[in-house]
Amino acid sequence: MPKKQNVNSSRRNFLAGSATVAGAAAAASVMPISIANANHTAADAKGLPSWTSWKKRSALIIHSDKGMETHRDAIGESVITPLRHVYIRNNMPTMSDAQIGNRNNWKLKVEGVKNPKTYTLAQLKQLAQRTEATVLQCSGNGRGFFAHKPRGSQWETGAAANLIWTGCPVSAIVKDCGGVVSGAKFMTSAGADMPKQLDPKKALVERSVPIKAHKDALVAWEVNGVAIPNSHGGPLRMITPGYFGINNVKHIGKLAFTAKESSVKYMKSSYRISPIGKKGSQYPSCWEMPVKSWITSPLKSAKSGNVVVSGVAMGGTRKASSIKVSVDGGKSWKSAKFTGPDMGKFAWRRFVFETKLKPGTYKIVSKASAGGKSQPKLRMENRRGYAHNGWLDHGVDVTVS
Amino acid sequence: MALMLQFRNIIFTTLFIVSITSSQSWGDVMKQGMEIFNEKAGCSACHVLKHAGSEGNIGPNLDMSKDSKDVAYVKDMVQNGLGVMPAFGEDGILTPEEVDIVSKYVANVAGK
Repeated sequence: MPKKQNVNSSRRNFLAGSATVAGAAAAASVMPISIANANHTAADAKGLPSWTSWKKRSALIIHSDKGMETHRDAIGESVITPLRHVYIRNNMPTMSDAQIGNRNNWKLKVEGVKNPKTYTLAQLKQLAQRTEATVLQCSGNGRGFFAHKPRGSQWETGAAANLIWTGCPVSAIVKDCGGVVSGAKFMTSAGADMPKQLDPKKALVERSVPIKAHKDALVAWEVNGVAIPNSHGGPLRMITPGYFGINNVKHIGKLAFTAKESSVKYMKSSYRISPIGKKGSQYPSCWEMPVKSWITSPLKSAKSGNVVVSGVAMGGTRKASSIKVSVDGGKSWKSAKFTGPDMGKFAWRRFVFETKLKPGTYKIVSKASAGGKSQPKLRMENRRGYAHNGWLDHGVDVTVS
Repeated sequence: MALMLQFRNIIFTTLFIVSITSSQSWGDVMKQGMEIFNEKAGCSACHVLKHAGSEGNIGPNLDMSKDSKDVAYVKDMVQNGLGVMPAFGEDGILTPEEVDIVSKYVANVAGK
């Protein structure tokens, strides 16, 4: 397992400045590590926690009762990820039915607008509706590939899902409230899930994103045809299409348009992409997701002859435009085909690549492009193992017999 | 030859003393570890750990976590914190020795 860290100057510039995650990831350069344990299954993993016992245990890797990852081969072949297979990552305890009460009476307070209001969920349903397919992905998806073993769940590919949300567009709420106040630069969402005994500065999940994100955002009450389960942030969840999971605030209780980013820990110091050994609010926050893809089949073995390589490709806030596959570790590439419905730029596309393989071992990798940028070969080293989109680490070693 | 025998005896005696000391201190470590967990650090407010009788639900259930049996991982978390979890070592809430003791305790009893 090579651990040489050959970080290039582009990355340094990024980490010192305010470039986007997507731009930085494209410029990343560091030696890869083996992915031998990419589809890890813990022999001693225990069952599902009671609050999300409806999940399919065999589809999940249990990192802890607050962190569950979808097995690489369990996202399915139907573009949309089955809800029972979708990963869980919680910063706060999931709210119970008793805490939530009547879902239609759930309240959303809106501030930083000309006419501040508090809406019930029932009122939001009557105000406006939009349905959007988006990739929901934890900022640390791919952390398990980093050689320096960043703290946190060792996600590989499964802290991501493609989901269909229905909710009220934030733009409709803004319009109904007379527009945002002058000077507002951020859309700031706060969860209502923090236990009262905790200090909001340290524990409130409040996230600010650039105000431009509000045009695509919605506050959602439904996912994949059902009311959003409590464990996925129901009854109301902020959905910021193209932005990392943490910005899709669960159990949202307050939406504000602010001149400054929130000063809570989850905004100020957590989820910052800093060099290894450094931390601080001067580093970029986990906002827009970079272009990314990974193979979901085959993962370890295949029979010789015709082999269908398949996977998923996403573009973050840009539409995934093309996908290439290499069966020789990136020496030569061929175009793969997207298949299945195009659900818009915020969703992922399923891809297939048909090839003929003789018995032997193959390093199969995929490389997606979006908005004129392609996945980099190598990961962007950073302290907490965020935003990994390097294609080499995400490849698979397949034995064909 | 006599020197070698003397040296061997010194080694055996040392090993015996170390063995006894270690045996005693391990029990102390476990006892102190549980006290730190439940009282000084207050880990019990946020974590389930059956051995300590705690049922906190802010952070991960330590009996279910894959990492809580890894003393180095636990120590790193206690030292530096993560998310809402305070940096007990870095912020001086616990002494380095206490960080070490509570980490050994958690890693030893998690899942039991």
